Amino acid sequence: MIHALKRSRVSRLTSALARFVRRGWGTGNAVLLLLGVVVVSCPAQFPAAVPAAAFDSANKLYEEGKFTDAVSAYEKLAQSGETSAALYFNLGNAFFKSGQIGRAVAAYRTAEQLTPRDPDVRANLQFARNQAQGPSLSPGKWQRWLGRLTLNEWTLLAVVAVWLWLLLLAVLQWRPSLRPALRTYVFCLAILAALLCACVAATLRETRFTRTAIVITSEAVVRYGPLVESPTAFTVHDGAELRVLDRKDEWLKVSAGPNRVGWLRLDQTLVSQS
Amino acid sequence: MRRLSSWINFHPRSRSRPGLRLLLALAVLLIWAAPSILLAATFTATLDRETVTVGETATLTLKFEGDDPKSIPVPPGLPNLQITSEGTSRAVSFDNGQISSTVSHSFALIPTQPGEFNIPALRAEVGGQVLTTQPLKLTAVKAGAPAADATGDKLAFFKLFVPRKEVYVGEILAVEFQVYIRDGVANAENIMQSFEQYGGCPLKAEGVSIFKTAHAQRRQARVGNSTYVVATLITSCSPVKTGPLSLGSMDVTLGLQLPLPNQRGRDPYDPFGMFRRMQVEERRVALSAEPETLTVLPVPKENVPSNFNGAVGNYSMTISAGPTNVAAGDPVTVRIQISGRGAFDSLTLPEQSAWREFKTYPPTTKVDTTDALGLQGTKTFEQLIVPQSPEIKAVPPVSFSFFDPDQKKYRTLTQPAVPLVVRPGGSAPAPTVAANTRATPDNPPPAQDIVHIKPRLGAVAQISAPLVLQPWFLALQAIPVLAWLSAVVWRRRAEMLANNPRLRRRRQVAQIIRQGLLELRQLASDNKSDDFFATLVRLLQEQLGERLELPASAITEAVIEERLRPRGVPETMLASLHELFQTCNLARYAPIKTSQELAAIIPKLEAVLRELQALKP
Repeated sequence: MIHALKRSRVSRLTSALARFVRRGWGTGNAVLLLLGVVVVSCPAQFPAAVPAAAFDSANKLYEEGKFTDAVSAYEKLAQSGETSAALYFNLGNAFFKSGQIGRAVAAYRTAEQLTPRDPDVRANLQFARNQAQGPSLSPGKWQRWLGRLTLNEWTLLAVVAVWLWLLLLAVLQWRPSLRPALRTYVFCLAILAALLCACVAATLRETRFTRTAIVITSEAVVRYGPLVESPTAFTVHDGAELRVLDRKDEWLKVSAGPNRVGWLRLDQTLVSQS
Repeated sequence: MRRLSSWINFHPRSRSRPGLRLLLALAVLLIWAAPSILLAATFTATLDRETVTVGETATLTLKFEGDDPKSIPVPPGLPNLQITSEGTSRAVSFDNGQISSTVSHSFALIPTQPGEFNIPALRAEVGGQVLTTQPLKLTAVKAGAPAADATGDKLAFFKLFVPRKEVYVGEILAVEFQVYIRDGVANAENIMQSFEQYGGCPLKAEGVSIFKTAHAQRRQARVGNSTYVVATLITSCSPVKTGPLSLGSMDVTLGLQLPLPNQRGRDPYDPFGMFRRMQVEERRVALSAEPETLTVLPVPKENVPSNFNGAVGNYSMTISAGPTNVAAGDPVTVRIQISGRGAFDSLTLPEQSAWREFKTYPPTTKVDTTDALGLQGTKTFEQLIVPQSPEIKAVPPVSFSFFDPDQKKYRTLTQPAVPLVVRPGGSAPAPTVAANTRATPDNPPPAQDIVHIKPRLGAVAQISAPLVLQPWFLALQAIPVLAWLSAVVWRRRAEMLANNPRLRRRRQVAQIIRQGLLELRQLASDNKSDDFFATLVRLLQEQLGERLELPASAITEAVIEERLRPRGVPETMLASLHELFQTCNLARYAPIKTSQELAAIIPKLEAVLRELQALKP
């Protein structure tokens, strides 16, 4: 599917280049644009053949109620390096049906990062979060708003705004007489670029530099210190999402809110970015 | 003193005789100073009261007046009467010139059994004569019987109050232990407080389960002619065996402090009684409540429900179960709440025969009572049941039977079945979400289950680092920045040239020189002599004009001597310039014919131009 997407995208760009050449933009500029397209497309290598058959067989296991087997099949597919939102969505479903809410939440979160606006993913993630008992961190309004776009989408939006802004600035150097006419556009673009860059920074912080621990055991004791002998601070349950503040050996310092901070054993959690 | 003066008056004439006067004085002194010798000794025995309760103390006082006894007689020992010596006291009084000495010895008499105790006459030798007391009689009554004072009312007593004389085994009841203390007892408040703070059970009984004890509000009650303060301890208990049941109370010996009468005499140093402590008499009273006898009935043996497990009381039951959409093998929590009045501690959940298709675990229980005695409240059972088969459609009805002692019959409470959806094994418990809000387009009803899996894999990609962290992408962002910087540099350069005409002319001349030299080479190769020298002269004029800041058209050979030489230009350069100008002049008249000759001039020109460009303007 992604092959088709990328191929169609490239074909559209190629035809656009041909139009540029026909309209007199010059072959040199068209080549430069083509080079840019190639550079942008470079990291998304065309993958190998889609293992749709393995996906279908995993789905079959799920439909038969063999959720544990389905989990294994989906995980094997995911470990092959080929990922898709549907794969992680189904993996989350299989985890959920096999009673592993925490792992289901982790899978849904991965799917959400791939397709943040997929209503099915959002619904199941919310549903799984609702099943988690006890203290847990839930994304705030601002985080949910940022999560409507992926980090790359925010990045591309910000880049377009910054490029346009700099282009206008360059035009103004070339034609100072246009300055009165373009001043408003330059100002608005500067504001827009700054806001989008802030969104990129916030999303980057949330998605790359904030670690979240998801509890995967039915019950986990959060202690006041990184020792088994430390007194219990509070208890969390399967599916609880906690902000990771620190790590010491096999213990994570986690937070479930302003007044709920403690140490949790690492093996009772899945730690993910965001 | 009156007696002395009358005696003196009776002998008025003795004053005139000094010898008689002395004798009379001695006689008076003897009579006045030793009256006690003349008084007769007495020995009495008294009891402070004639009737006491068993365990209460009566005081026997032996009083010797007139002289000290030779020895203190001891009352003879009597069965069931403890006699304890409490010591001797002496009192000396002076009244109307008479000195009287009284010796008192007290004995504490404590009967241990009810009955009459006759204290025989006691003999003592006082002042050389043997004196005998009257016999005394002390009556001891058993505890609870009147320990009356002069008015005939009891000072204090205990009382048990049982709400019902007939109870069923297992029925819970509240027994009141009441402490009555008559008004006027000085330490009544302390006694009441100590009872109310008593932490144990005041009851004595066998075959009874004692649960909790609490104290009720203190009150006042009128019994006979007296008013009493009543403290009440209430104990919840439940008989555990049938038949007659005797409920008794603890035995307590109280020290009751009674104010002494005749305390109204004024102290000359404390006329208002501000510093006077109330003088009290302490009476030790052994108290015990009259036992109460209950009849404990067995629960009926007829119409006993099959699941009756001994619960007696009055109850209601509610039940809830969740989740109700589960996979076979997943647990369902059934919460059964039994509320009402009864012995909750011993209340157990009856075995539910309808749960055979479920795997069950021992329930957890929690008791929440609503009163201090634990008579009323709610006991919650949380029972985990695990459906073993997808065919199960409901949590079966739950029933609970108990015997209602008020209605004297068995009652069975039954809650209907709870619908249950059991999916094939391995399913996770699908949560049940209560739809307590009305669905609207903005507020959709909460989901009942997760969205089903996606049938197609969709777009496949490899998860890689985001664009913003990839070096190539960051490097790409340098392009617009560099473009903008280039535009800025170009703009600055243009502005700088616009504002510096000398520099602009220098660059223009340099451009002209570069193009002119190319043109010279072309003209030389084309052997165009006239054009060649015309161009050469133009180049010299341009360069010299730029250096000397003169128009190019104003440059002639004369400028060399007029402008260059005064500026200290080297002679060789001047000579070269002269030579080039003269060559140009000569070529007008004797043109150079060959290209080689023309081309040979170009290096000379270039050398001169370089020297001129190095020349400071």
